[in-house]
Amino acid sequence: MDKRIDRRTFLKFSSAGIASALLGSTGLLSWIPRAEAATISQTFYITEGFITQPDGVDVYFRGYSPSTNNLTVPGAQMIVQEGDTVRITIVNTLGTSHSFKIDGVVDSGRIYGGQTKTIEFQVNKAGTYMYYDARNAPYNRLVGLHGGFAVMPKGSSNEVYDGSPTFVQQHFWLFHDIDPVWHNSIRNRRTPGTTYSPRYFTINGLSGRPPGSTGNGDPSVDAMHDPLSALHGHVGDRTLLRVLNAGMCQQSVHTHGNHMDWLTDNGQIRDDIWSKDCIYLEGNMGKFDAIFPFDPPPDAHPPVSTGVYPMHLHTEMSQTAGGGLYMFGALTDIFFE
Amino acid sequence: MGMRRTTTTDTTTTDGGGMDGGGDGGGMGGMGGACYIYPAAPATPGLTNADVTFNLGIDMQIPLTMDDGNTVNMWGFTDGGGNMGMDGGGMGGGTFPSPAMRVTEGDIVHSNLNVGMMWVHTIHHHGIEPEYRSDGVGHLSHDVANGTYTYQWRPAHAGTYFYHCHTNTVLHAEMGMYGALIVDPPEGAGTLFSGGPSYDVEAFWVVDEIDSSWHNLPWDAGTCGGDVGLNELNPDYFVITGVDGSGNSAMNLPPISATVQRGQKLLARYICAGYHPQKIRFGGLSGKIYASDGRPLPKPVSVTEIRAASAERYDIIFEPTERGTYLIETDIIHWVTGEVLGTTRTSITVT
Ligand SMILES: [Cu+2]
Ligand SMILES: [Cu+2]
Repeated sequence: MDKRIDRRTFLKFSSAGIASALLGSTGLLSWIPRAEAATISQTFYITEGFITQPDGVDVYFRGYSPSTNNLTVPGAQMIVQEGDTVRITIVNTLGTSHSFKIDGVVDSGRIYGGQTKTIEFQVNKAGTYMYYDARNAPYNRLVGLHGGFAVMPKGSSNEVYDGSPTFVQQHFWLFHDIDPVWHNSIRNRRTPGTTYSPRYFTINGLSGRPPGSTGNGDPSVDAMHDPLSALHGHVGDRTLLRVLNAGMCQQSVHTHGNHMDWLTDNGQIRDDIWSKDCIYLEGNMGKFDAIFPFDPPPDAHPPVSTGVYPMHLHTEMSQTAGGGLYMFGALTDIFFE
Repeated sequence: MGMRRTTTTDTTTTDGGGMDGGGDGGGMGGMGGACYIYPAAPATPGLTNADVTFNLGIDMQIPLTMDDGNTVNMWGFTDGGGNMGMDGGGMGGGTFPSPAMRVTEGDIVHSNLNVGMMWVHTIHHHGIEPEYRSDGVGHLSHDVANGTYTYQWRPAHAGTYFYHCHTNTVLHAEMGMYGALIVDPPEGAGTLFSGGPSYDVEAFWVVDEIDSSWHNLPWDAGTCGGDVGLNELNPDYFVITGVDGSGNSAMNLPPISATVQRGQKLLARYICAGYHPQKIRFGGLSGKIYASDGRPLPKPVSVTEIRAASAERYDIIFEPTERGTYLIETDIIHWVTGEVLGTTRTSITVT
């Protein structure tokens, strides 16, 4: 049952039909717009296993993984373009039924244990989405079957939606909260019967490892140094944050160093863009888009253009692991370089 | 409720502190076994003369009496003094919330934090975005221990902020280590921001929830591991600007409650100081949000209620036209279930 855990992979599709795992040396995403729509193919293997939490406890998860002998939570981030055809093949290696759904876009329906199913759909609306298993809701999503999915406006490399403020790089911040008792019930194919009590909190599948702790600085375990989560930029490197919540808890997403320009709320373009240092993130698949502008920190004296600041959830319970261990929760760092 | 401030030019000398550490070593050991703290009190980079100086100490023994007669221990920053890391037995002079800081846009400000030998703390001026070593985030710079550290900052945007401790934050902010931070525009109090609305009366709605079961924990609880319950905040008290808000204690208590004449403008500075989400309702009054998180909105928004997440601030202007008393209620809502856990109450009286 135990498997070697590769937490997740990053997939980027920059030319027709070719999916390649790509992570730039700095961890920055880049996006190359295409004139022509493409067909994007991706295979996910629904697998299960255990992921060790910061306090050493192994917690059961299922994931949309890149191979049968791997467990990846969350599933690979996908960025496609309006007009693309997306072909997803789900290989369900488990004995339980699952599905692949993007609200308002596609629903695979039931995929039986042992079954392989391919779905094909066109994406027509730019935005930030979550793909997830909608069966046995919310349990299959909570146990790890979820991932980030973005649709870029056609032909655009720097907008969230047509005419939006522009950015030069983009990140998913996919938050999750984990109740190991619930995960264990799901493992045993029982409906959780206890009051939900999250004990672990992650961003893109990882939690913090502060200086002095085992794993600090290791991008495979430390959310503060994970290139998918940590922001690196020079002044002016406006960074799109695609913020998603796979968990149950309502959160307050808080950045130090700069306020965020708040562009969308649960898929709706906001009437006005507010400059916020905390943004309300609803539980159960709440989402928003914001731009971290990488402006010089406005209140520094003397003025500065470099430094390092945290992003953390201000719902501070989410900064803990196993009921303590402050800073081993859902947070990352922001590097002004 | 304001803090004494020195407005004469005053360069503060920081003492070097006795404790080794810095931001890179940290980790295990030290301070009686606390973990992942980064104690130090170095010199402030780029220290210059200040326009305004606040001197803050620490008090870990602040009794807060609730409407039911029970007393809950709070922690806080003091206006000078503090119990200096010793067991002060309530002699530290601290209040809950900590004293407000009020400064003017463009001021060079020093917040001098003096911490004794027994614990570590920081000040994070929430919403203020200074040089990172004046940001108060231990793992990226240092926590203050056994000495004085000067946080230097120069607010660029008028508005409503708050300051709080950022050491073992989940516990220290819940314990009450925060105070309001108001940045006035150059026009001074009475104007929300340059080019923004004026106001005649000001109210402070700092709404927070307290889980008294957390309030006997030591300052470093949970930092080395072990389940001390910091993932579960199950509040049993609900406070507004330091007063039990569940009954009538804050109903007639300026500057929480407010009395305005018709034709006058009331500014309410609302700070969601708890962790669970909140919903504030204005008892039938309609207000206009002019700013949030220390930034003007592109267009003011008329509202009769606001939903807020932890640490959000909203600046609301009321221009009531009808005499009466209006109940201002804030529900504290469980972050998972959405259940209303408690409600604070105050009032606006229009004459
Ligand atoms: Cu503290
Ligand atoms: Cu804060």
